[in-house]
Amino acid sequence: MTRLKVENLTKRFGNLVAVADISMVVEPGEIRAVIGPNGAGKTTFFNMISGFLTPTTGRILFENRDISQVAPSQRVKLGMARTFQITEVFPELSVRENLQIAVEAALGYGLSVRMSEDAAEEVHAEVSELLGLSGLTDKADRFVGELSHGDQRTTEIMMALALKPRLLLLDEPTAGMGDQETFDIAKLIRKLHRQQGLSIVLIEHDMRIVFNLADRIMVLAEGRMLAEGTPKEIAANEAVQKAYLGTAG
Amino acid sequence: MLNNGSLTRYAPSVIGWIVLVSLPEWINVVAYTDLGSRVVILGLAAMALNFLLGHTGVLSFGHAAYFGLGAYGAGLTLRYLAPSTGLAILVGTGVGMMAAMLIGPLIIRLRGVYFAMVTIAFGQIFYFIAFRWSTLTGGDDGLTNWSRQPINLGFATIDLKSPVAFYYLVLFVFAVATAIMAKLLNSPFGRSLLAIRENERRALFLGIPVNLRIWLSWTVSCGFASVAGAMYALLNNFVDPRTLHWSQSGAFVIMAVLGGMRSFWGPLIGAAIYVVLQDYLSSRTSNWMSLVGLVFVLVVLFFPRGVLGMLGRRTQA
Amino acid sequence: MTQLILFNLFNGLIVGAFYALMALGLSLIMNLTGVINFAHGGFLAIGGYLAYTLIPYLGFWGALAVAPVMTAFLGLVVERFLIRRVYGHDPLYSLLLTFGLAFIIEDGTRYIWGAQAVPYEVPSSLTTPLSSEYFFLTGYRLFMVALAAISVSGLFALLKWTRLGMRIRAGTLDLETVSVLGVNTAILRNLNFGLGIYLAGLAGVLAAGQLGVEPTIGSSLIMPSFVSIIVGGLGSLPGTLFGGLLIGVASALTSVFYPSATEAVMYVIMAAVLLVRPRGLFGQEGRF
Repeated sequence: MTRLKVENLTKRFGNLVAVADISMVVEPGEIRAVIGPNGAGKTTFFNMISGFLTPTTGRILFENRDISQVAPSQRVKLGMARTFQITEVFPELSVRENLQIAVEAALGYGLSVRMSEDAAEEVHAEVSELLGLSGLTDKADRFVGELSHGDQRTTEIMMALALKPRLLLLDEPTAGMGDQETFDIAKLIRKLHRQQGLSIVLIEHDMRIVFNLADRIMVLAEGRMLAEGTPKEIAANEAVQKAYLGTAG
Repeated sequence: MLNNGSLTRYAPSVIGWIVLVSLPEWINVVAYTDLGSRVVILGLAAMALNFLLGHTGVLSFGHAAYFGLGAYGAGLTLRYLAPSTGLAILVGTGVGMMAAMLIGPLIIRLRGVYFAMVTIAFGQIFYFIAFRWSTLTGGDDGLTNWSRQPINLGFATIDLKSPVAFYYLVLFVFAVATAIMAKLLNSPFGRSLLAIRENERRALFLGIPVNLRIWLSWTVSCGFASVAGAMYALLNNFVDPRTLHWSQSGAFVIMAVLGGMRSFWGPLIGAAIYVVLQDYLSSRTSNWMSLVGLVFVLVVLFFPRGVLGMLGRRTQA
Repeated sequence: MTQLILFNLFNGLIVGAFYALMALGLSLIMNLTGVINFAHGGFLAIGGYLAYTLIPYLGFWGALAVAPVMTAFLGLVVERFLIRRVYGHDPLYSLLLTFGLAFIIEDGTRYIWGAQAVPYEVPSSLTTPLSSEYFFLTGYRLFMVALAAISVSGLFALLKWTRLGMRIRAGTLDLETVSVLGVNTAILRNLNFGLGIYLAGLAGVLAAGQLGVEPTIGSSLIMPSFVSIIVGGLGSLPGTLFGGLLIGVASALTSVFYPSATEAVMYVIMAAVLLVRPRGLFGQEGRF
């Protein structure tokens, strides 16, 4: 079963066509990168998949189910999770509480006032596992707002992962990071991908990350799809080099 | 290490409760027992407001409406329905909470200043009803000719005439209400409210139905405000429309801010400071209103994090 | 009956014009700085009292011209030393600050001018009815409507065609970009606040002629202004104008048929609007 299928997606804001007629298929376990110069429509495209925006025309299918009009919180329940370009965490709560809230939401305890011991145990175990996986166990009781940019981003990714998604959407996971942090995040994404068998769609500016991680790459320019293929094919594609890699390099 | 940790964690609460329980023993040295009741009642209202403001991150400037509905609900019950203090508290709470629940769907989609403005404006509806419907409410002169009645427990009867006896009823209601609020906040439900306060967008993308949670938090918060309102009516044996006025809402907000919005007990401390100060100023000068206004200005400029906010970044419930 | 309805309709327009003048000032300040100015009613009272004090020296027309300017100047000072400090903070703080200011102003005016309403002399040339059949069409009433209309047109013209107006409009959309373009946003917000307060002062002078001035006039007029803004839609000045006129007329007509609901009717309108259009009649998605 195809994980994500996007058919002829278009988004207009008044006269401006931000995304024009884009189609894409993401298979289970695939890492897909979406690249393109600023203003290419990447974020708009991404926001439609996660439900932040509704498409003007076209369809989005998640595991063969049309979700084009489904609310973001419902998409989460179906098995999609996302992170944001600007890290979105709960700054005045500890790392542990951040993850705990995510786990409780995922397990559907969000409305309970009283929890059984088993349930509390289950939440605790999952939080510990996520902490271990992320390497943040030492910092578990510090406020997220006090941590480094990289650790905040890691927390955000782990919160998304707590939802046990089958599709993870990462919006510029390494934006604004130094080399070491970028490298650590890339390592984390690879590790999560391998262990969980996730499909991942990511927008990314750092070409080292893109070519290192992605199974397939889609290139957008001015709202349209310029090219699509394996990293090798994209690297060799003349149109892409001219429109994008040339100017960026 | 563990002992030390739990000592510093629980010591403030223990001391706080000792102060509250022993209050009638020492307050006559500096003031009078009813002032203590007023602090605890308005403190409960400010803590109820803070359930929404400090723990859900939603700014209501209209809580006096629900406080006042609680007060009128209690007063009208005793005046017209039945001579039962317990019933009066229940009716007051029910009326306020029901009104909040019904208004909720109209406002939960709004945020920030817009939410604040709409809550103020909605609050005024009840003010005008109380003001205009004078055959029922006594209008501007207030609802009179009733008083709190002894509580009959079956095996014993508690006479509430004396200020001290009534103070202990207030403290009992306060203890139950705050215990429920603390329990709610320390649950997955409470944490999902904190999540909304911290970052609404992230909460939404964790699958938390944000608007629905704000509706619940709003209803709970207004419900406890009306409990406080009912007790306030019983304290004075009197209710008037000023109880519902937006300037009273402002007072609740300043109490919460003054004490510290991020802490559970902060608003009680804020209420104590505010009530005592107002009581002192209004007995000293007819221009107390400017001085209270000055308190608002000074708190904003110099104490934005509140008293408990200055002491530590976070005090656990 | 027709005459009674006409009378109240006309009265409603006058009252609505007051609400709109006050609400437009509030809106102007809120749109650019996100500050809900609770003290707006206080400035209105100050405008009325200043005019009352100035009339013996300057006469009616002189006071009408000078009092709003003095009020606006006071607004500039208050913005410079107090309001400015809460920009960019949680809106909670601006609310509390202006709330405290409203208390101080109300008490201050009571201290200076007394708790009783003060009489306010309007030139007799303006008070004689223009028609015996429509007795309520006094010159002063027509004059108020005309002056309100001129002020509102003046405000919209200023926003549309002057450099300051264009900067205010641009700043309302995106203050950061405006500041990057080299506009001094501190001065911009200061002048904008003064402009809003000028409108409050003007409404105060007009209200004084119609109702007399008393210390609580401000707190009684602030709620209808809030409702005007909510009904019209946050962020939209034409919406605010429309909202003010609508609730003014609605309250006046209600007072004919069901007097005890005179104040409540505006809140009913507000609830209905919120139910159908949460952002208000002319409000835009996404702001606030």
